[in-house]
Amino acid sequence: MPSASETPPAVRVEDLWIRFRTTRERRQTLRTTLAGFRDRSKRAMLVDALRGVSFEIPAGSVYGVLGRNGAGKTTLLRTIAGILPPTHGRVSVWGKVTPLLSLGVGFNRELTGRENILLGGLTAGLTSDEVRDYAPVIEEFAALGDAIEFPMRTYSSGMFARLAFSVATHLDPEILLIDEALSAGDAAFKMKSMNKIVELCERDCTVLIVSHGLEVVRQLAEGCIWLERGQLRMQASASEVVAAYLAEERISTGNAVALEDV
Amino acid sequence: MSGELARLPIVYEPTVTGLPPLRPYLADLWERRRFIWHLARTDLKAEHYNTVLGQVWVVIDPLFLAAVYFLLRSVVRPAATGADRNLVIAHLIWAVFFFMYTNNVVMTGARSLVKGGGLILNASFPRAVLPLVAVVKAACDFAPTLAVYFVFQVVLGQPITPALLFVPLIVVILTVFNTGVALLVAPLTVFYRDTANVIPYVTRIWMYLTPVLFTISEIPAGLRAYLRWNPLYPFFAALEQIFTGSTPSLGSLVAATGWAVVAFFSGAVVFLSREREFAVRL
Repeated sequence: MPSASETPPAVRVEDLWIRFRTTRERRQTLRTTLAGFRDRSKRAMLVDALRGVSFEIPAGSVYGVLGRNGAGKTTLLRTIAGILPPTHGRVSVWGKVTPLLSLGVGFNRELTGRENILLGGLTAGLTSDEVRDYAPVIEEFAALGDAIEFPMRTYSSGMFARLAFSVATHLDPEILLIDEALSAGDAAFKMKSMNKIVELCERDCTVLIVSHGLEVVRQLAEGCIWLERGQLRMQASASEVVAAYLAEERISTGNAVALEDV
Repeated sequence: MSGELARLPIVYEPTVTGLPPLRPYLADLWERRRFIWHLARTDLKAEHYNTVLGQVWVVIDPLFLAAVYFLLRSVVRPAATGADRNLVIAHLIWAVFFFMYTNNVVMTGARSLVKGGGLILNASFPRAVLPLVAVVKAACDFAPTLAVYFVFQVVLGQPITPALLFVPLIVVILTVFNTGVALLVAPLTVFYRDTANVIPYVTRIWMYLTPVLFTISEIPAGLRAYLRWNPLYPFFAALEQIFTGSTPSLGSLVAATGWAVVAFFSGAVVFLSREREFAVRL
């Protein structure tokens, strides 16, 4: 039985810094650039979303990412997915990364659910033949019935989420990044998606879950990362990190809202 | 397990030089060709979903525009009768159709990245996909108008000669030019949102400076020397020759190709060296 340190990593993050330029007026326009020449205070502000984060995720493990809003959780996932370039440092990934950062990426609401399966799969980087192979399983998992033939603008948000979740998790991901997407659909579907995640975890798939559902993290994840204001506060087993996080945030374990069982 | 270890990782690091490694980038882009095609196709399908006439508008729209310009022209410069008038009508129709191709690429290309913000922030793919989708969409809208134009060429008694075989060549060169323009304007809109507001006026003025509403022979000799510097001028000069029955001059073809190459490479360099910043700026 290899110990955790002997397992090859799936994700390695070394001294990662991510810096954003934001203007006080949210959008940069010609006017704000010109204003920046005249008045230094109106120049773009630099925000360090991640400040020197380093960690490793062993292949095939499930990791949770905890932290308050704005701690840099989504930024971290986006960098691992290759969407945001590191300002400094290095991110290495072994395997195909499937980001599930927002539900229904690439979906077009005017098109039917079935057409959107193809679109979603192509967005994730599959060939159309691969998507066609997966499509029946995805349709069955989403269990939308006849609605799969209807344009997605007629879907409820729960139905939308079900299809999006099914597409993302059936594309044979090697490294799956999930950002708060677990809370998809009704109670029955939540159970189903939870089982799907468990199944993916058992199948050599590395999963990184950002969630405020602490109970989910404690149940699913082996390890956990705690980010605080762009820095790594703690990396340890899920139960240890969740306990420390709870203690810090002074949330009593009986607080159902914070633990939100998903 | 040793197999896993031997696998090479994908590494993301801050880039030192502006351009990403070209070979893997182009390979990645080529792998995404079906994605480009489907995004364009589904976008078009969705756009024409709610209108009764649907796709027919793609042809009717520029035809109405040509009709309006014909009325406008008739006021400024009363049209001759018979053959001369047919020539003017034919010219207006093909010129508006061709100009709308470039116009549509510029308009949708400029918005492509901002509109695709959700995709850029949540999925990883070569960003050139988005302006290319704009080009494919505009080309799909352009193709039927070109087919319809050939009907007018016959109905209006314009010459049917082997010179028409040059049309596909011009379309290809123009498409390369348009792609370059799309790659140039798309990042501009990301960095300066004002671009999207300015572009309709820029393209309108561009049209007035291109032999669309007038033929080349109608340009005063003194002005022609300046209008020649308009990148679209050689395209329209060649097309005018083709549709009036003569082979296009070598000069026009060379100039058009030159502009296409310049636009394409400058667009590609600007786009590729900036694309890693898009996710941060959206």
